[in-house]
Parts: sequence; structure tokens; C-alpha cells
Amino acid sequence: MSSAVVRWGVRRPEMLGLGALLLAGGLLAAVGTRLLTGPLAVLALGTVFASIVALVVVATMGTPETRRKIAPYGLLKPGMLWLALFYLAPLFTLLRLSLSTLPSRFAVEANFDWNFDNYVTAFTDFGPQFQRAFMYSGIATILTIAIGYPLAYVIAFRGGKFRNLLLGLVVIPFFTSYLIRTIAWRSILSDNGIATGMIGKFRLTWMLETMGMMDNGRLINTPAAVIFGLTYNFLPFMILPIYVSLEKVDVRLVDAAKDLYSTSTSAFRKVVVPLSLPGVFAGTLLTFIPAAGDFVNALYLGSPNTTMIGNSIQDQFLVQNNVPLASAMSFVLMLIITVFVIIYSRFFGTEDLA
Amino acid sequence: MTTRRPNPFTGPRSAMTRRQLLMRAGALGAAGMTLPAFLAACGSDGGSGASATTPGTTPGTTPGTTPGGGGAGGSLFFENWPSYIDPTEDGATGTVDRFKEATGIDMRYTEAYNDNNEYFAKIQPLLGRGEPIDPDIIAPTSWLANRLIRLEWLDKLPLDQVPNAANLRADLQNPAWDPTGEYSLPWQTGFAGIAYNSDATGREITSVDDLFDPEFAGKVGALTEMRDTIGVIAMSLGIDISTLTTFDEAKPAFDKLQEAKDSGQIRRFHGNDYFDDLSNGNLAITIGWSGDVAAIARDNPAVKFVFPESGATSWADTMVLPKGAKNVAQAAEWMNFVYDPVQAAQITAWVGYVSPVDGVQDEVAKLDPDLANDPLVFPDDATLANTQGFAPLAEDVEAEYDAAFSAITGA
Amino acid sequence: MSAPSSRGGRVARFALNAYAGLALLYLFVPIVWIVVFSFNKPKGNYNVAWQQFTLENWKNPFSDESLTNAFVESLKIAAISTVIATVLGSMIAIALARYKFRGSGGLNFFLVLPLTTPEIVLGSSLATLFLDWNVTRGFTTVVIAHIMFQVSFVALTVRARVRGFDWTLEQAAQDLGATPVRTFWKVTFPLILPGILAAALLSFALSLDDFIITLFNAGSLVTFPLYINGSFRVKFPPEVNVLASAILFVSVALMLMGTLWGARGRRKSTA
Repeated sequence: MSSAVVRWGVRRPEMLGLGALLLAGGLLAAVGTRLLTGPLAVLALGTVFASIVALVVVATMGTPETRRKIAPYGLLKPGMLWLALFYLAPLFTLLRLSLSTLPSRFAVEANFDWNFDNYVTAFTDFGPQFQRAFMYSGIATILTIAIGYPLAYVIAFRGGKFRNLLLGLVVIPFFTSYLIRTIAWRSILSDNGIATGMIGKFRLTWMLETMGMMDNGRLINTPAAVIFGLTYNFLPFMILPIYVSLEKVDVRLVDAAKDLYSTSTSAFRKVVVPLSLPGVFAGTLLTFIPAAGDFVNALYLGSPNTTMIGNSIQDQFLVQNNVPLASAMSFVLMLIITVFVIIYSRFFGTEDLA
Repeated sequence: MTTRRPNPFTGPRSAMTRRQLLMRAGALGAAGMTLPAFLAACGSDGGSGASATTPGTTPGTTPGTTPGGGGAGGSLFFENWPSYIDPTEDGATGTVDRFKEATGIDMRYTEAYNDNNEYFAKIQPLLGRGEPIDPDIIAPTSWLANRLIRLEWLDKLPLDQVPNAANLRADLQNPAWDPTGEYSLPWQTGFAGIAYNSDATGREITSVDDLFDPEFAGKVGALTEMRDTIGVIAMSLGIDISTLTTFDEAKPAFDKLQEAKDSGQIRRFHGNDYFDDLSNGNLAITIGWSGDVAAIARDNPAVKFVFPESGATSWADTMVLPKGAKNVAQAAEWMNFVYDPVQAAQITAWVGYVSPVDGVQDEVAKLDPDLANDPLVFPDDATLANTQGFAPLAEDVEAEYDAAFSAITGA
Repeated sequence: MSAPSSRGGRVARFALNAYAGLALLYLFVPIVWIVVFSFNKPKGNYNVAWQQFTLENWKNPFSDESLTNAFVESLKIAAISTVIATVLGSMIAIALARYKFRGSGGLNFFLVLPLTTPEIVLGSSLATLFLDWNVTRGFTTVVIAHIMFQVSFVALTVRARVRGFDWTLEQAAQDLGATPVRTFWKVTFPLILPGILAAALLSFALSLDDFIITLFNAGSLVTFPLYINGSFRVKFPPEVNVLASAILFVSVALMLMGTLWGARGRRKSTA
């Protein structure tokens, strides 16, 4: 039988390659989630191994043309199997655990029994945290566009020979610890910190208070502080993709548009903006998604009234020890984000995302 | 690396045992506390149980070794709360190093115990499956020690190898959390009351009601340790927390906290991490732990700790052996070592909590007479009468309390 | 672009530049704070209020054992996971950029997924897997977790870099009689190496800095970010600023070297 497979494989190498990759990935994920256990798991792992052997055999026996056709699957295999086992399988385990019940409060093993109560609790008890997560990250995303777009625009069109240097400056904050940056803001924004002091000096307190950015003369431990932190920490994720898309815009095109539309504003609106949308789209995903699941900013800059769903998941999983509930909340978060991404890409999507 | 400088992590508390404590004494005076000097209730008859040899008179020298200690060898791993033992610094040898020197035991001491619930969640997957964890000794607060005992996740202490356990304070023998006293020895005990920054409050604080004063809106904190936060509030509402058996009895305290949280009165729930905020005025007033305030008060004498009029909660952190702990004999040596009043006094002088060991007061008096008169460290009967320990809760009742509390802390 | 014609145009132009400058400045506020406070001699446990200039912190950045241990653990994890992830990720990138093959669209999409999943979901789901397997979380599980998110990152970064690569060079080499293996090491590899190194550097930085995923999978292991988070309850010593600044300076130096190297490479290839 195996020789038949090999013969078929030599004739249709790309089918063998793809088939072996998908089969091995699927089986490995199934073993990872313990869908297959005992002898079945052994059989599955044997098949995974055999698929690798088959690939090698075909590659050595086949012609250069066969080798060329099978090479991409061979190159993909190790990384993809890693993701199948440590990205895909965990999501299924998460789903199964979210439908499980702990037999007692301090039990280690949860019993899988299609228990949807965890989902009910996730929505009833943690509704405000979900709302805040999406509201804060949504506002932060809009702010990153407002701050990041002009900066990316100036670097791309007016940077000249300093383009790379300026781009480097945008990336540099990336290289200091996320936590420490957030702690830095916490100190700068604290009641006796530099920022509060300067605002007081310039008598701007009343203005910020009316704008809702200050609360009782303090900047920190407010919703505004959490949004501010999210905006800061994810800004580079917005600037870079916008820059990449703007960089591709041909300056001559803009000049031509100026001749056509006569004002630079309409040239910008009609030419530059549409061409930069893929960057804004990618940046939005790269900002909104991690921000919605973040808990560091709410932890260091927030108050008990600004906790986001990330804080709750962290608390239920790592402090309260209620793993099934935490899993349900995680899964809901992922589901909502997936739906958002699908709808969002329907409206603004491009294939340029990756 | 030309000069040996003080360890920067503990440095702030270094070489200032005296100064720090003087400051605190001053702060307490300002807070209107009386200082019933040598009349503290506990440990008046000294370290008779301990046959300590050379009482340490000057910091910087090794203040004596336990009898029969030397040469046992082996290793030991103790995981404790942060900043909970005197370190080696400025020429003074810390307790861990003195122990290593005296016994030849290779001791590993870490400070990764930050929160009871968090630590429980960390060890639960292992102990729950009957597998050992790395540390030989861990430091759960009494209620968690009680839970671990009930779950049968602890080994009995080798008390026959700990002669100094005889020095355990009478009021801590066979405690509610460990009725037979076979599983735990207290590490330190203390109180939760009100900590405040008098610069920020603009007045002295005496009552739990001040936590809910609208004047301090957004500048109030509370502990993430449910039994301390709910305990202090419940006592102010006239609830006896030492006899609680149902959730409804404590519900008024939860309601009061919920209301304060919803209105934005409470800025933050915190564990140990309120030093900074309290010192710089981000928090004006909070529920805090007695010993911690010493460290803050050194930087900022405006920071004070008071027993509220309605009373403070008392608690104990314990030393226990997680099931399957390997180095039991070495653990016994360690417990014996720190239950020697001479050694215990060194720890007390640094951490500023209430020692569970009899005879420490006399030893501390030799190191620092002011500290020996501090009612927060050596409380008198009147002070103790104004404190309550939280009742041990049945598993399902505890679950109700925890769920209600975590719903308020908002996480 | 043509020079602005009107005075209003000049003002608008200046305003936009100023706005961009302020945005750039905003990015640097906490960075400056971190570096400046690494030279502070704090009073108390928290290095958050300016007291006095000192070089002591920089002379002796490894004076705290637990901080140093945590930092070393982080470096070890980052080194191991980066090597493995770079190999796996680069292989994927070469496959995707070099070959046209059946199923590439779907595999491409699958590859992007880990990067569009919130870290908290990645971390908690992987932790449930390890719980389910009864695996004790620690060093190994953290390395596995880091490789998981680095593979996608490396693959996409390297692919972006090698997209414009002229694959006919390979064909030319083989026509001249070079074996495929020789062709790869002598022609392909040197050309894509800068891209791979850049991706490796970035994913090393990601690993070193990762907090959320690590928190869920570390068990009793303490890494640099976990140490900062845990110890912030009682202290925030200036040594943390020193180490953070040091990471920053080293990364910037490596980035500059990379840019110079890239520029040299470009000159060489155009010459």
C-alpha cells in the first residue's frame, strides 16, 4: 500500500504534500486536544510520522520537478505543525473547558458536560467589563489614527533622506519594556507628577475636567488614563502600516491630482486617502485587537471602575482559580473579535493585510 | 564595581531600623496613640524556653546560634512574602545568612508569595494532583492554611524536632485555623487598620467612616485581602467577624463597599502595593497593614497607621509544609532557629510586625528600646481587646464571600 | 512635492509638521523618563520621584539577585525561542515567497491568525492545554508559548523582506551547474540573511518583553517582566530602569548596524 502512495505521490506531488500537511496538522491538533486518546493517539502520531517519511521518500525518489513541487510543503511543515499543536489545539481545549464544570471549588480536573452556565455568567456578571474593553480600545484606536496618520504622512512625504531615521524613532519606544513604559506614565500622570503639575500651572484643569479627561483634579486611575495608556502603547502598530501604504504612493500621482483637482486638500482626499486605506485597515486590527484584550493599562492606570475583560479573565484564571469561567470569557472575547474582523474586512478589507 | 554599596532593593529599609522606628514612634504619638511602655501583654517572661547562647547586642555581629544546629547540611527552600525578613546589608548579617552559617544548610529564600489567592491558584494544579511543589516551606495566611489543611495538601510539622516551638505565644496555640496545631507555626502576626497620609487628609483619622467621607472621593484605597477589608468595615458596622457563619451576616459590609466603589470613592484595591500611592498622596486614606506603615513613615512621616475606634482585624501568616516537601529535617531546623527569641527579635526589629514568639520583647529591648515599647509590635491587652480575627468559613460560604468580593473589586 | 503656493498653504504645512513633531515627542516622553530615572538616587522603595543624580545604578546593575535571575531567565528564553522560531518561520517565509503552490492562500490566512488573536486568549488557551495535559508550567512551557507567537511573526516579516527577491538568480546558479543545496547556501541564503536577522532581532525583543502570555504559562518561573509586575507591589528600584535602558541602547545599536549593513549591501548589489 505504501508503495502505491509513493507512486501516486511521485505523480501528484503537490496533492501529497498538501494532503500530508493538512492530515498531520489535523491529527496532531486532535491528539493535543485529547480528542484522540490511547491507541488512537498512537495511531495518529504514527500517521503524522509516516506523512513526514512519505514526504522525504518522495522528495528523494522523485525528479527535480517533483522535488520542486513538494519543497514548499516540506518547508511549511515544521512551523505549521507547531502552530497546529500550540495554537489550534489550545483553542479547542479552551472551548471544551469553557463548557466544563469543576466538581468542587478547588478541583484540578473539570468535567466536560456541555455546561453553558459559564457563558451565561460571562455575559451577566462581566457585561460592563466587555463593554469597557471594546469602548476603550475603540476610542484608543481612533486616537491612534488621529495621532499616527499625520505623523506617518509627514515621514512618508516630507521625510526626505531622514525617512529611515524618523521611522527608526517611531520604532525605538518598542524596545523598552511595555510594563515599564506603563509604569512610567503612571508616575508622570500621578497626582503630584509632572503632567498634573504643568496642567495646574497653565490653569488647564477646568478645561480637562469639562472634557472628562480629569476627575477631581487627577489624571490617573480614570477611564481617560486607561485609554491614554492604550493609545500610547499601541501607537507604533498604527503608524508603521500607514507609513508602509503611504510609502507606496507615487508622489507624481499626487502632483497630477493637484493639477486635476486644483487644491491639495481634494488631491489628498481623492488620491492619498484611498491609497492609504489598507494601512489604516491593518493598523486598526493591530491596535484594536490587542487593546481589547489588554489588562496591563487598566491594572496600572485604572481604578476598580475601569477594569476591562482582560483583567477579569486574568483574575478568574490566575487568582480565583475558576478556569472554566475564564475560558468562557476568553472564548467570547475571541468570538466577538473574530466577528468584528469579518464585518470590518467586508467593509474596508483588502487582501493586503498580511 | 569599586565600592560595595547597600542592596538597592532593600536599601531603603537598610541601616535604619532605629531611625525608622523612631519615626514611627513619632508618627504614632502624633496620631494620638498611647504607648504603654513595658506592659505589653505578650512575652513578658522572656526566652526561658530557648537556650540561646550569645544574645546579639550589636547589629553586624552574628547574634548567636541555635544549640545543636551546626553541620546538618542539606538544602531548604522557603517561599515567603516580599520584604518579610531582615536581609544581609550594611554589615549586618540577615537571618537567612545567619541560619546558613549556623547550620551549614544551603537555604534558598524567595519572595514570590504576593497574594494568597494567586499563590493558591499557582500551587493548586500540582498539589491537587498529589505532586509536590518546589518550596519546602510556604507562608499562607491562616485562612488559606486552614483551607490547605482541609484539602489535605499539607504534611504535619516535625514538631518533635522543633524544641523552640514551646516559645509559641499562648494565644496562638491550637488556633481556630489549625485546631490541633500540628500543621502550622505562625511566621508573623499583625493587624489591618487604617493607614493615611495626614498631609493629604489634612486632619487626623480615627474612624472607618472617614474612608467613606466624600471629601476624600477618589483618594481612598482598600486591601484585596477580603478578610481585612470586609473585616474592618464590618467591625465598624458592629458585626462580630470572629463568629460569622453565613454570608448574610456580613452583607451590610459588602453593600457599603459596593456603594463606595460605584460612586468612585475608592480609587484602587491593592495588596502590598500601596506604599508609593500613600506616600505621594495619590491615596489619602486606605485600609493597610500595621507593619508596612513603618517603611512608608520613614520616607514620609505624614503617613500613619491607626486602629480605628471600632477595632482592627488581626491575622497571622504561617509556615507550613506542602505535601511531599522533601527537606523536612532542614525545615524543622529553620523553624527552631526562627523560634529562638534572639533570632526572632532580629526579624521583628526589621519587619515591624507582631512576633508569634514569646520572649522577643526583651531581646528587642536590647536592640531598640523604642521598638520594644511600640504597641503595634508589642500590643497590650487593651489593644488586643480591640481586635478580631476573621472566623474560619465553610467552603461554600467562603465561595459566596469570595464571589461577592471579587465582583466588587471589579476584576 | 511642489512648493506650497499660498501663505495659507505654508501655515498649514508648518502646522502639520509641528503636529507630527509633537506626536513623535509624545512617543518619547516615557522613554526619556525611564532613562533619566536610571540615574536617580531614589528615596524609599520606589524610584518615581527625582532626588539626586548618581551613576551608582549603572555601575552595579546586577546587585539584586532575584532581579538578575529573572533577567537571565528572560534572556535564556528569548535566545532559545528566537533560534527555533527563526528557523521555523524563515522556512515558512521561503515557502510562501519562493513557490506558487496549492493551498497557499489558506495556509497564509492560518499564519496570520495568531497575530490577530488577543494575547490573553493565546496565553489562557495554551495554559488550558497544559492543564489538560497535566504538564507543570515553567521554563519549557514559556519557551513553547514564545515560539508559537514568534513563528508567525518571523514568517510574515521575512516574507515581506524577500517578496521582491529575484528568484531567477537561483535558476542562473543552477544553470551554471551548482547543486540546489550549494545554490541555497551560496546565493539565496546570503541575500535573505539580513531580513532573517532583522526578524530574529524583533522577535527576540518580543520574547524578552512578553508579559501577558508568559504570565499564564510561567507557573513558578519568574521572568524580567514578571519580576517587575510582582515586585512593583513593594518596590521599583532604579536597576529596573538601568536594565530597560540597556536593552533600549543595545537594540538601537543593533538597528543602526543593521541599517548600515543593509545600505552597504545595497551599494554592493547596485555596483
